[in-house]
Amino acid sequence: MKRMIGWVAVGMLTAGTVGTAWAHHSFAIFDHSRTYMLKGKVKSFQWTNPHGYIDLEVKDGPPGIDHYTLELTSINMLQRAGWKSSDVRPGDEVTAIVAPLQTGDNGGLLLELRMQDGRKLVPPVPAADTFKRSQQ
Amino acid sequence: MNARAGRLARVARAPISVLVGVLMLGSALAQGPPDLTGTWERYRGPAGDATNPPPESAPPLKAALLKEWQARRAAEREADARGEPLAKGYTHCIPEGYPTMMSGPFPFEIVQSRSQINVAQEAYSQVRRIYLGKPQKKLDDVEPGFYGRSVGNWEGATLVVDTIGIKDNVLFRDVPHTPQLRVRERLHLVTPDILWDELMLEDPAVLEKPWTVTFAYRRTPNYEIIEYVCEDNREYADEKGVTRLRLKDK
Repeated sequence: MKRMIGWVAVGMLTAGTVGTAWAHHSFAIFDHSRTYMLKGKVKSFQWTNPHGYIDLEVKDGPPGIDHYTLELTSINMLQRAGWKSSDVRPGDEVTAIVAPLQTGDNGGLLLELRMQDGRKLVPPVPAADTFKRSQQ
Repeated sequence: MNARAGRLARVARAPISVLVGVLMLGSALAQGPPDLTGTWERYRGPAGDATNPPPESAPPLKAALLKEWQARRAAEREADARGEPLAKGYTHCIPEGYPTMMSGPFPFEIVQSRSQINVAQEAYSQVRRIYLGKPQKKLDDVEPGFYGRSVGNWEGATLVVDTIGIKDNVLFRDVPHTPQLRVRERLHLVTPDILWDELMLEDPAVLEKPWTVTFAYRRTPNYEIIEYVCEDNREYADEKGVTRLRLKDK
């Protein structure tokens, strides 16, 4: 876990050295004013660029949500932050903190993933502190 | 000393002077171009740090084009504020090309030889090749591409690069350009591990004057470039060109 925290710091430093105005990618499709906490089972972990994705079968979350697509940063950024493709597997029971899509569709940006074995996986989202966390 | 002895002494001294000359030449060559081989990342030091390059200026576009550029930028900001960011090349997995690939934020790798320098940007696995000591071609002889044709020379410890042949849809900072775009670069170390790339964009048809942008990079000695294939972006552009996210069926 210490390794993970260290690499997260490096990843954030890397992302933070460059202004977000000209970053590869805008995160504006995601709501910066609130987060959801979703508990459920991983259906798939898509290890691809330009983003990784986790599809989640939601068991506990906001009313009416039974499936959710989680967008992650690029897998290059994830690897620099210490992630491995084997960190998350179908069937894993997880708790996800996400910034939901502005459209209200069942998708969002993954900010934090808590694993049943106690691991806390944090994708190196640039300017992650601009996403206001809801009380959870 | 008789005449014979004098001749012998001159013969004996000759190899020493030659050896000294060779050593001096070797020393001069040793101080030649710095070795830029390795991986680098964009870097900005603490405020006031002498290794920080000048802040990036707005493009000195001609008045009408500047107005259009500013309007586009404003529209992008408004779209972002609405939560409907406009799709970009990235949305379609199209690499950024040159010179944007030199701006980060991902690391890149320089591999240097006497005749060529390759710059491999991790994002999209983009590669540009700089041919050393070769003349630049005429513009008409270079088919436009994402990275153009680059030739370079060492001027002391500074690598001077000339690039032409950038496609008109390969934009830096969303600034339009014509086929006449020429980018002159000067790369030099400001400390042993901080490299500056001063890029001067020239395109008299759209720019009032050359536009200089400088990036600083720092060495990342133990970093190995990771492959990057834009394999499946589930973000896409809708019929209005707005970025959306494709959700998986249940």
